Amino acid sequence: MNVWQSAEGRWVRADLRARRGQAALTVLAVAGIVTALIVAATLLEDGTNPWRGLFERSHGAHIWIHTKDVPDVPALRALNGVTEVAGPYRSAPATLVDHGRRVPIALQETPPVLPSVARPLLREGHWLNAGRQNEIVVEWSFARALGLRPGDPFTVTGLNGATHTLTVAGLAESGDQGFYPEWTPGLAWAQGPTLTLVEPAPGRTETVTGLRLADPAATDLVVQRAVFTLRNQVQRVSTWREVRASMELDNRLLGLLLALFGVAGLVAAALAVANATGGRVLTQVRDLATLKSLGFTAGQITRMLVVEHGALGLAGIVLGLVAGGLINAFALPDTVVAPLAPGPLVAIVLGTGLTVLLAVWLPAWRGGRTPPLPTAPATPPRGHLSRLARVAFLVRLPPALVLGARDAFTRRTPAALTVCGVAIPMMMITIGLGCWATLDDFIRHPESVGQAAPLSVRPGDLTAAEVYERAMADPDVVAAYPGTELDALVPGQTRTVRTRALGTAGDPYPFPVAEGRMFRDQGEAVAGQGLLDLLGVRIGDRVRITIGGTPLIVRIVGRVVEPEQDGEVLSMGIDSLAAKDAVPPGFYALALRPGADPGQTRARLQGQGLEVAQAVNPADRLSVIRVIIVALVTVLALIGLANLLTAIGLGLRDHVFDLAVLKAMGLTPRQVMATLVTGTGLLVVAGVLVGASAGALWSRGLIDMEGRDSGVGAGIGRPPTPGMFAAAVLIAVGAALLVALIPARRAARAQVPVTPRLPG
Amino acid sequence: MSGTPVVKAVNLVKVYQTGGLPVPAVRGVDLTVRAGEFVAITGPSGSGKSTLIHMLGGLDTRTSGEIWLDGKRADTLSESGWALLRRRKVGFVFQFFNLVANMTVADNVELPALLGGASPRQARERREYLLGELGLADRAGAAPARLSGGEQQRVALARALANQPTLLLADEPTGNLDSRNTRDVLRLLGRVHGQGQTIVLVTHDARAASMADRVVSLLDGQIVDDGAIGSARRRPGGTAGDVVELRG
Ligand SMILES: Nc1ncnc2c1ncn2[C@@H]1O[C@H](COP(=O)(O)OP(=O)(O)OP(=O)(O)O)[C@@H](O)[C@H]1O
Ligand SMILES: [Mg+2]
Repeated sequence: MNVWQSAEGRWVRADLRARRGQAALTVLAVAGIVTALIVAATLLEDGTNPWRGLFERSHGAHIWIHTKDVPDVPALRALNGVTEVAGPYRSAPATLVDHGRRVPIALQETPPVLPSVARPLLREGHWLNAGRQNEIVVEWSFARALGLRPGDPFTVTGLNGATHTLTVAGLAESGDQGFYPEWTPGLAWAQGPTLTLVEPAPGRTETVTGLRLADPAATDLVVQRAVFTLRNQVQRVSTWREVRASMELDNRLLGLLLALFGVAGLVAAALAVANATGGRVLTQVRDLATLKSLGFTAGQITRMLVVEHGALGLAGIVLGLVAGGLINAFALPDTVVAPLAPGPLVAIVLGTGLTVLLAVWLPAWRGGRTPPLPTAPATPPRGHLSRLARVAFLVRLPPALVLGARDAFTRRTPAALTVCGVAIPMMMITIGLGCWATLDDFIRHPESVGQAAPLSVRPGDLTAAEVYERAMADPDVVAAYPGTELDALVPGQTRTVRTRALGTAGDPYPFPVAEGRMFRDQGEAVAGQGLLDLLGVRIGDRVRITIGGTPLIVRIVGRVVEPEQDGEVLSMGIDSLAAKDAVPPGFYALALRPGADPGQTRARLQGQGLEVAQAVNPADRLSVIRVIIVALVTVLALIGLANLLTAIGLGLRDHVFDLAVLKAMGLTPRQVMATLVTGTGLLVVAGVLVGASAGALWSRGLIDMEGRDSGVGAGIGRPPTPGMFAAAVLIAVGAALLVALIPARRAARAQVPVTPRLPG
Repeated sequence: MSGTPVVKAVNLVKVYQTGGLPVPAVRGVDLTVRAGEFVAITGPSGSGKSTLIHMLGGLDTRTSGEIWLDGKRADTLSESGWALLRRRKVGFVFQFFNLVANMTVADNVELPALLGGASPRQARERREYLLGELGLADRAGAAPARLSGGEQQRVALARALANQPTLLLADEPTGNLDSRNTRDVLRLLGRVHGQGQTIVLVTHDARAASMADRVVSLLDGQIVDDGAIGSARRRPGGTAGDVVELRG
């Protein structure tokens, strides 16, 4: 039988029809949350794992086989699991000569027409043109590290020592090798004749062939078969796993923040659904009692309510899935290249689905327990006019104010619904603003996250003294701290940890010390939270580490905010190291004059022939969080307003009788409206203030907690700025009052029905 | 008087607990209603009439005593057991009509039939028949709030009769109606009874009580008078399902 034609179906259908607007709001709220979560997860995944997107877009090859000569391509193509073959392409080692530097590169042959497999993705400039020789396309991260732009000269020296000046035609990305400098040598694409020009000797080139697989999991197997098929020809093999690993960012903080937002989103969804369902069930007690007197069982009513409200939630999830997909596909086509992996998608859908069902189930169960006795539809307010109110009347305060205020506190359930319904989204909005303020603080005070020096120069061909001199000669550079980064063996660990020696004990680099103190002596060090957790040590403890075979005992005297390596970094003065490790320094960290533009300084220093790297502010990597914050705040605001409407609806239903009384007392419709808005307004202000204060109090602690768990360490959290806080509170109250006005207006204008009251 | 009684209460007691204080509302009522009987229950306000009738229909639990419906013990049933029983055997009419506000008149009347397992077509036919008989055929698509009090109560009566219940319980069905509508509703009750419907009617209204075969008077939760009035107008058993030619 058609479900809609059953008794339960009839009722569900009638109820949905009677409250289309409210139902639509519920669907939209859930859809908004799901959309925000999907977009956030996609952006995050894309930001922290760029390989997936690049590989997808470039239709990359999973395996690259390097051979001396051209391999047996048909045999490779015939291997089980191989779907397509890229190349074979010739590849020649060469050296790029740039501002006196000599940087090793790999020059790879490429056809003038972009290949279908392992297709480089042009980002700037134009692709190689068969008509124009002596042009070259440079891999994007490599070009960025060297400061190369389309049109720049590109001087290469072949193995035979001959120098050729080529021109950079364009910059392209590739999913087939990692980013420079993590992945070396740097890559440049050239046409066959150009390659022959640079490396005329065929014996000195190698051949690379890419295999695209049907199933990436079969990589190891295919590699084995390929190596077997090609016998002794294979020189080396690289796979997508290495590429992906080299591209991945340490994303624990990001992941944790996303998890925080995910939970916030789910709580918001639960709140929206529970509020809508609970409010609706409360207004329906009388109808539910009637249904029971007709023979509906408690189970039937619970089921009916779960189906009705759960269906709205599920509709919201489906709508959110579609909207998230559409936004990823059309609104963010440049940032998002690959759809969300099934894992997070399933987690979002299941998480929201379960949350919705749980949130629906409780009020539905309560509804099912409604006694079948016909109860009075509403009790008149129990409170009497308080003495205070009477005094207020006597001194001629506007009656609307007095009645509204009394009203706000005599109806417990709608009052609680209003306050909570507003306070919880407001709290989460404030926490979101706290995250925003924290990111702003990262940008404004990079020194507070360990980035007092935005640039670092590596000696390369130059001596350390030359580098120091050239760097300090720049007008914007105020200090150059000698530094080196080494891997240290620590007790009880099978892997090494990063040891960063920077500055000296006498002139230490300004690390952001969050606890304890800065190192002042040789043999003292500071550490990130991640390292303290890893070793299970506390400030004041001594640790024994081994650097390059030399044992070293350091005392940890402080904890620093450490955004790198999940906080598993030990920092000390370079003079604490053995001379063999410390001299010459691996790099100089440059502190700039306040207000100096690191980009310009970097360009100037590069002009001086220095190899300069610019630090990436964690906030830039976390910028995706800002998108999520905006989206979430919007959805939360909508949810707060929807909650408010539910609560007002519930309050108004109880009001029907009072409205008659108020009008009989001689209040004009305008005064009646003012009474209603005052009643709601007071509760809204209470809810907004409670929520915003709780959010401001907690945001710092919550962010610090995320910081600690991610190894960065506590001490990064900031509450929202006072301006932001005030604006949020004012906007929230204003929007809430505007929303409260709509039903109040309608109620004040409406003819008051003479509704019968049931005997108590 | 032969056959199983439609409803039988044995030493029925209801004690409410209000703030720890026991409030006895019904104190040992014995009542037997036979098929086709029309029993009016009267008594002053607070005498326990509503409590009694609610217990007879399973809307409220008894404190002690027995309730037998159609020869089967009912007071020991669970809440859902009562619900299933009500679907088939009991129709309720309340003072305040208690129509489901969101549903149309037609849906309100079809609901019990659907609940009882009738097919949508059967439910519709039954509804068309009942509304037609009660003179409300043209209001089928209306919302209950659009109807006058008398019309709403007639719809409630149609709904109560939708499943051809063995027992119709009515708690002051005319308590909220003007005299004209009261007369209409009472006339309808009389006709339904004329077709053999067993009715228990709680009322303050002497005129309503005078229509019954038997008047039971309650005082402080106890039966103080129970007597047949006039000549028995009872007819052999049967239910409102056989009602025909209600309009005349
Ligand atoms: N839910 C309840 N809780 C506590 N006491 C109740 C409850 N319902 C009824 N009572 C009490 O039980 C007694 C009988 O109430 P009941 O409603 O059955 O009277 P009634 O005869 O129907 O009165 P009326 O003619 O006014 O409808 C009264 O004293 C009443 O106060
Ligand atoms: Mg009563």
